[in-house]
Amino acid sequence: MNNLETKFYNAFIVKDRWILYLKGLGVTLEIAVAAGIIGIIIGCIIALMRLSEPKNGRKHTLWWYIATAYVDVIRGTPSVLQLLIMWFIVFSSSKNGLLVASLSFGINSGAYVSEIIRAGILAVDKGQMEAGRSLGLTKAMTMKEIVLPQAFKNVLPPIGNEFIMLIKETAIVGYVSLSDLTRTASQISSRTYEAFMPLIGAAVIYFIIIKILTLLLEALERRLRKSDNR
Amino acid sequence: MITVKNLCKSFNGVKVLDNVSTRIEQGEKVAIIGPSGSGKSTLLRCLNLLETPDSGEIWFEDKLITDPKTNINKIREHMGMVFQSFNLFANKTVMENITLAPVKLGLLSKEEAKEKALSLLKRVNLEEKADSYPSSLSGGQKQRIAIVRSLAMNPKVMLFDEPTSALDPEMVGEVLDVIKSLAEIGMTMVIVTHEMGFAREVATRVLFIEDGGIAEENPPELLFNSPQSKRLQEFLSKVL
Repeated sequence: MNNLETKFYNAFIVKDRWILYLKGLGVTLEIAVAAGIIGIIIGCIIALMRLSEPKNGRKHTLWWYIATAYVDVIRGTPSVLQLLIMWFIVFSSSKNGLLVASLSFGINSGAYVSEIIRAGILAVDKGQMEAGRSLGLTKAMTMKEIVLPQAFKNVLPPIGNEFIMLIKETAIVGYVSLSDLTRTASQISSRTYEAFMPLIGAAVIYFIIIKILTLLLEALERRLRKSDNR
Repeated sequence: MITVKNLCKSFNGVKVLDNVSTRIEQGEKVAIIGPSGSGKSTLLRCLNLLETPDSGEIWFEDKLITDPKTNINKIREHMGMVFQSFNLFANKTVMENITLAPVKLGLLSKEEAKEKALSLLKRVNLEEKADSYPSSLSGGQKQRIAIVRSLAMNPKVMLFDEPTSALDPEMVGEVLDVIKSLAEIGMTMVIVTHEMGFAREVATRVLFIEDGGIAEENPPELLFNSPQSKRLQEFLSKVL
């Protein structure tokens, strides 16, 4: 028992180490939120590119080919490699690891988000678009007023899921020497020669953050669903 | 009012409409009947270009709407369409469903559109549903609202695509009554239907479509009482 207390003391209290965990969590969340926003913006654009309708008998638009190539490349390579490539090759002159990591994860997430949004839009009944068009509304108006609001409800749960994945995936930023929550925990464990407390501690922090997020998403979903039965 | 010339349309190499030509005059009520898969709905959907014809011409008044340079959105403002599956906007209330297009397209102010919607809703006895969402309505109510939504645009012609096919039998009457009352005030309309009794009562002309072509076209008394072709005789013996 005494032993456990000492371990806890060494892992969290000595030299105010708990502050390091909090700072690490800050880095994790900063990257996740920035990447999440970048991912949603890219995802929307890519989804619309993939849904663009070809004219005069062609099979796909030029936009479709570009967007599809992007999704293929991103999904076909490990995110750690993408991060390393961004850090050591694309932005090798940049010192701002936080920015590069956010961008890298955002570009990665965008590919997955685009597929979620595309599926969400396709899941809206075709008749909704036809009804809008038959009244003389343009495609863009019908999209904005009718299809996208309904698609939003469809995509909320998988987008939430994607964001949760994103938070955990940022644990690899240690590769480009950013001190996020995971790297902080592992650094502390190598200083105290004791792995249990820092690693389990970090795991518990991730878990709590994600649990809170899950509860918030569920509440939002419930509110959106209510309008279905009025 | 609408002129169709040599209209052809195929889906994945299968010819659905083969060289169809007809004219629909102002004030006419044209019923389109025929076996399923014969191309009736496709013909109707070509009239407002929800389906793009492969070849042929469609004229609305003096405008060639199959010309890619024609602004089809402007044409559609004058052509109301009612769908088999209602297609009310699921994320909008009944009132918003009706006022959305006239307001967005700048035809009416918000207040005018609301006023108009209310008076139209009164005509179909649904004014108390103005603030409901479509998911809380019965099929018959949904279809009556869908008709009102089209009427709010002051269309010159109404296209009905099997308006009662998705309804429970006890709700068919309430929808047909609304369509009948439109016919009585002189609305030009084209109705794809399986309700032969209704076609006979309301239509001024009936088109029998078979294998992608107009096989027979006559006023209802003539078409139903003395069908010329063998195929129409067979069809009528099955559905009447």
